[in-house]
Amino acid sequence: MTKGGKKEPDIRLRLGQLSLENPVLLASGTCGYGNELFDLVDLRNLGAIVVKGISVEPRTGNPPPRIHETPCGLLNAIGLENVGIERFKTERLPWLQRHKIKTIVNILGNSVSEYEKMAACLDGLEGVHALEVNISCPNVKEGGAAFGIDPKTAAEVTTAVKRACSLPVIVKLSPNVTDICEIATAVEGAGADAVSLINTLIGMAIDIRGRRPVLGNVFGGLSGPAIRPVAVRMVWQVARTVSIPVIGIGGISTYRDAVEFLMAGASAIQVGTATLVDPGAPEKILHGLIDFMVRNNYSSLDELIIRD
Amino acid sequence: MEKKRINKDAKIVCNVEIRPGIFLMEVLAPEIAASSFPGQFCMIRAGSIQGFDPLLRRPLSVHQVNEKKGHVKFLYRVVGRGTKALAMQAQGELVEILGPLGRGFEVGKGEIPILVGGGLGVAPLLFLAGQLKGRRAVAIVGAVTKSQLLRLEPFRKTGIEILVSTEDGSFGNRGLVTEVLDRLLSRLDKEARNDVAVFSCGPYPMLRATHHLCQSRDIRCEVSMETAMACGSGLCLGCAVKAKDGGYLHVCREGPCFRAEKLSWE
Repeated sequence: MTKGGKKEPDIRLRLGQLSLENPVLLASGTCGYGNELFDLVDLRNLGAIVVKGISVEPRTGNPPPRIHETPCGLLNAIGLENVGIERFKTERLPWLQRHKIKTIVNILGNSVSEYEKMAACLDGLEGVHALEVNISCPNVKEGGAAFGIDPKTAAEVTTAVKRACSLPVIVKLSPNVTDICEIATAVEGAGADAVSLINTLIGMAIDIRGRRPVLGNVFGGLSGPAIRPVAVRMVWQVARTVSIPVIGIGGISTYRDAVEFLMAGASAIQVGTATLVDPGAPEKILHGLIDFMVRNNYSSLDELIIRD
Repeated sequence: MEKKRINKDAKIVCNVEIRPGIFLMEVLAPEIAASSFPGQFCMIRAGSIQGFDPLLRRPLSVHQVNEKKGHVKFLYRVVGRGTKALAMQAQGELVEILGPLGRGFEVGKGEIPILVGGGLGVAPLLFLAGQLKGRRAVAIVGAVTKSQLLRLEPFRKTGIEILVSTEDGSFGNRGLVTEVLDRLLSRLDKEARNDVAVFSCGPYPMLRATHHLCQSRDIRCEVSMETAMACGSGLCLGCAVKAKDGGYLHVCREGPCFRAEKLSWE
């Protein structure tokens, strides 16, 4: 294929056994279960969709207020509100199957055995192409981040999930740690097929008139362009530490941001908060990325990576 | 399946300050004009914003539509940086707009609607009043004082009965809109109470009072709720409000117009 007389770049990629048509993915928690976007985005044009984190039992989420805008960013404390794995399978997955959308299911547990149970439950289901293991949500007291801040428990969860299913397993890492490379190395050693980073940074805002925290949960996760430089730095570090693919996440809002992550060493990227602002953003980012590669004579994603 | 939403840039037809800090903006968005229902909203962001600050679009109720011209009007107050940026925009400039969104007011076929709007709460109610032309209906609109009353003339033009109140008595009835509603509902006999339904938008205490007035008389009541929103389209689940039977409802999807008895009101 050619574009303006120039050769269209090859933007396909592999994450373990998972092959994707392009590197632009929708981040968990910002694209629902896909059907919320049915009339606004053709999800088949994107690399994959990572659905809202699923737990064994349904969760109602945190008390409001749950969101608060900050400079170039968004603080959220949704609290992993989700329909639970059974309803996901019966009510949400069929739509994704029917529309042949490449689907990565984000899973969250309160214990290693819950992660294991969910992995087993999703294994082999039509329409489930990979798992993203959430060991990094900052907004729930039990589970979630507790597994992601200790290399030992992070590895235990990864081992259990890998043992329970034959799906490609991506582990989503928390930035709220002293050394993210240590956690990345641990999950790689436990068999993870890829890592995705970063989840949100723990933050807080205070209502100075009411003299109280803004969010019902007190703390929230900061996302959006405000966190991008932190995320780029962590992707750079992790990509130089592990040999499994890295998926870059953190405030990506334009194709230039995506290129930055890909140059830092990411094999793919996820668009999150930008989709909340403009559901058309992921497709614009994909098209902008292709145009950038054509203009600058990059023929593959691999050529973008800065090797030092 | 729900109707298709539109996500695009729209040209501003006019954007004027009709009261200190209150703006009336009209944009050219024919698809949204043709598909909106009263009570629905759009997510809007000033096209002039360079970069990502402020970041999010803001939810604004559809105030009026002109299907023929393809125009949609919004009535908004400048409360923060997002609305301030909107207020600075001139005719001919662009806004990013996504809509129509959410569940609007649902008026039953035989119902006699009573609209109750306090302050800026009249925003979604004028659209509803316009659709009740020729029907038996009442709108109670109020503000703190005469100079803060909004859009009385367009309400009168709809032809439905209009009752006005100000808290200081400087215009119309003296007192709160809910006091006017209370008197109106008290005059109804049992049969009439079955026929009426109340549609309300305004500050939270006003909505709660409206709900209680209706609940004690077994009158159907719908309220339009307001919360901070990030996406407006059911993606982030950030706009949760407490439900009556535990758990949460989302203002962007299950609302913004709710049957009042579905909410917790605690």
